[in-house]
Amino acid sequence: MLALPAVLVLVPTGVVWAWLSHPDEVSFRAMALYYDPTLPLKADPVRFMVDKLVVDWFGIFLLMPVFVPILISSQSVAGEKERRTLEPLLAAPVSAAELVLGKSLASVVPAVAITWLAFLGFVVAVDAVAWPLVHGPVLPNGMWLFGVGVVAPLFAFLGNGLAVLVSARVGEARLAQQLSALVVLPLMGLVGGQLAGWIRAGTGYYALQGAVVLVLDILLVRASVRLFDRERLVSRWV
Amino acid sequence: MSRIEVRSLSKQFGPRTAVEGLDFDVAAGEVFGLLGPNGAGKTTTVRMLTGLLRPSSGRATVCGVGLDGDGEALRSRVGLLTEQPGLYDRLTARENLRFFLKLHHRDTPEAWEAARRWMQRFGLGGREDDRCGTFSKGMRQKLALIRALLHDPQALFLDEPTSGLDPESARAVREAVGELAAEGRTVVLCSHNMSEVERLCARVAVVKGRLLAVGTVPELRRQTAVVEIHVEGSAGAAGEALGPIVPPCVWIAEGHALRVTLAAGVGIPDVVALLAQARVRIHAVLPAQRALEDVYLELTRGAETEAT
Repeated sequence: MLALPAVLVLVPTGVVWAWLSHPDEVSFRAMALYYDPTLPLKADPVRFMVDKLVVDWFGIFLLMPVFVPILISSQSVAGEKERRTLEPLLAAPVSAAELVLGKSLASVVPAVAITWLAFLGFVVAVDAVAWPLVHGPVLPNGMWLFGVGVVAPLFAFLGNGLAVLVSARVGEARLAQQLSALVVLPLMGLVGGQLAGWIRAGTGYYALQGAVVLVLDILLVRASVRLFDRERLVSRWV
Repeated sequence: MSRIEVRSLSKQFGPRTAVEGLDFDVAAGEVFGLLGPNGAGKTTTVRMLTGLLRPSSGRATVCGVGLDGDGEALRSRVGLLTEQPGLYDRLTARENLRFFLKLHHRDTPEAWEAARRWMQRFGLGGREDDRCGTFSKGMRQKLALIRALLHDPQALFLDEPTSGLDPESARAVREAVGELAAEGRTVVLCSHNMSEVERLCARVAVVKGRLLAVGTVPELRRQTAVVEIHVEGSAGAAGEALGPIVPPCVWIAEGHALRVTLAAGVGIPDVVALLAQARVRIHAVLPAQRALEDVYLELTRGAETEAT
């Protein structure tokens, strides 16, 4: 569980450090012009690339709040079916909505906490590495604060909602994990588009992602509550 | 007023009928046995009565709540011991019990003290802080039983409560069941252990897709009747006199004792009349005490024969 946050913090930090170790590389100018052909002559291409990396990296950073709930929530129903703990739970006086909420919070809260802690580490690491060039903090900025505070929790609910939904339909926790993890593919597609220069990321872009995910979250919660029907779960899986 | 009232209760899963036409009542403070072979519909019946499954037809009331009523109210009044203990292995005994106490809104010092006393009684004292994954099968079974009791349910549904328990623990559980019934709780016991059912249950229902018989154990024994007739002279010769009886009855002769298993529709008077006609001198007519197991097997095999 901690490997993913570590990778998502250390990789961009390492890239920034590597760039700043060789700030006079000619290729930086070419790279910067690829992403912004109107880049002024006097603009620092290394600073431009660092800023672009920080903006684009948020798209990959969102993997964390999606993935962590998938790991936890895929156990939420499928795992309980495997371990035969589902029936006593269903026999308790709890509504389907309460069950879904309880299982969701159990995965979303740690996911958001890990994301925020990783963000803190990321801020410290990137600022420490970039200080010699920038002579000031690169992070946090408005986009990241909005993203980590608003968009990341929405993505956490997305990962959780998908995992709960899939977990209610399949009999094995591992299968639930693998199927739920397919949600990463469209996210990686979007990041690929950013790296290829087809998509210009920024606060507006991530806000749009957050809005789409919010709608999906609402639909997933409704579907999950419906799927947590005792009759369906007991007659199929217990 | 009965604590559990069941009227024409049926459950279908698609084209398959799991159980149909169940009719029985269980009074407050009664220990009621539910007997049947595997796949007979006992667990389906218990799940309907505990609000886990909706009946396909019929109705029932458990602790004053209809099955079509408030499911949460129903589940707060009943306790269920499932066939598998269903404990969380990574949690300790204390954590498992407190989790379920919280679900029942009963996480109070008094409830925990009661839990501790039950644990002491079932030999789990001092194991409150051990992970359930380290417990033996019998220990898990006992802890699961305690979990079913903790919220003070009016009715308890116990599926094989002494399964996997050593004799001492099994006795402790049976004593506990008796005490719970004496306190006015209703207990429905699913078990394959005939001696346990005979010892604990005031009444028994035999189920195999439908209700085959219901009554006290003595009543069930009399229902599938065997009569032992002590005759003068050879019981074998006397048995030959039963040839004309329709449908035929199976008989065994042992010395002067003629043991006749009465076929459906044949009563003791019919047998006695035939023997008298054949001038057999009868010394005694004794309805035989059959073991519950024999009654159960005869009922369930009879149901199988009818089905084919």
